[in-house]
Amino acid sequence: MDSLSALLVGVAMGVLLQRVGASSPALIARNLRLENLSIIKFMATTIAVGSIVVYLAGLWLPMHLDIRPAYVLGVLGGGLVFGVGFAVGGFCPGTCVVGLGEGRKDALAALLGGVFGALVFTLFFDALLAPVLKMADLGKLTLAGVLHLPAPLVAVALGAVFLAAVAWLPTEPGRSTR
Amino acid sequence: MNAQPETAVAADVVPVRALPRWALLGAVFGLVSAASIALWGPIGVSGTYPRFIGALLRLLAPGYAGANTYLVRMGDFAKPETFLVLGLLIGGFVASRFSPRHAPRVEFIHAGQTSAAARYRDAFLGGVLIIFGARLAGGCTSGHIISGITQLSVAGMIFGAGVFASGILTAKLLQRGGR
Repeated sequence: MDSLSALLVGVAMGVLLQRVGASSPALIARNLRLENLSIIKFMATTIAVGSIVVYLAGLWLPMHLDIRPAYVLGVLGGGLVFGVGFAVGGFCPGTCVVGLGEGRKDALAALLGGVFGALVFTLFFDALLAPVLKMADLGKLTLAGVLHLPAPLVAVALGAVFLAAVAWLPTEPGRSTR
Repeated sequence: MNAQPETAVAADVVPVRALPRWALLGAVFGLVSAASIALWGPIGVSGTYPRFIGALLRLLAPGYAGANTYLVRMGDFAKPETFLVLGLLIGGFVASRFSPRHAPRVEFIHAGQTSAAARYRDAFLGGVLIIFGARLAGGCTSGHIISGITQLSVAGMIFGAGVFASGILTAKLLQRGGR
């Protein structure tokens, strides 16, 4: 049952990513060069709507929340490495799968690179990486926990800030269009 | 008689045009991501890569796979996330079938890039770095940035800041280098 709903969520996500252009590495590169902000604004809208819906619906419905631990060194270092790869290749781990579905050959190259990266990570995990990743672990921290405020309130506030930012920011900086 | 269809078209088109594409699709994705959390859990993609490695190594080198802490921690390949990734493949295929434009086989993304071999090399290298980075951090664009920040996770915010800081810097440098 979980597998079926995950499959359906994946299909919907794949269609949405393809339609918004997130599986185009050229559009990702233009977003990272800040020439076009459509994908960044798409992501911020997704987060805002998702956060407000999850925490308001969570007042009445059970939610399968899964907060990941903030082990600062690994999370920040991993983010910095990820950003370089994101700019060099123009794909993220999901969009290269969507791109492969579209018939992009460079997406296949990125996917194979990802499998190789996972192999390297697995081989070096016990000897080199595990000790570093244990450092500076703040645990499963949320913004609501840091601020000592109710999560639904923080979700609505964060969502409002994100929506205001995407409404205010131009989609193509340099041009006068939205 | 002539004015009638025009007003009908205008009334039909205006509400769609009022919302840009990224906003409409982003809002729908937000609802999908919330539905996922309601149904089984937050969306996440990058963990499937080491789980695939785990499935391979359990076949080829079961002794090693059983002793590797990371593969044991990541668990079985038969997880909802694996079906999510399969869904991405299907979604990309289906959406492109109904798309007016075909996706290019190879897309050049930085100034001065003209060789297909260089593009495949960059895509492969980028693939290595995004998965290595994502596994260091314990999540990627979907698990940390989309699902993470949706759940107000501090880790997601730290990861997102790192990704955009180095991503923007690298993209700007690559563009300058190509000119």
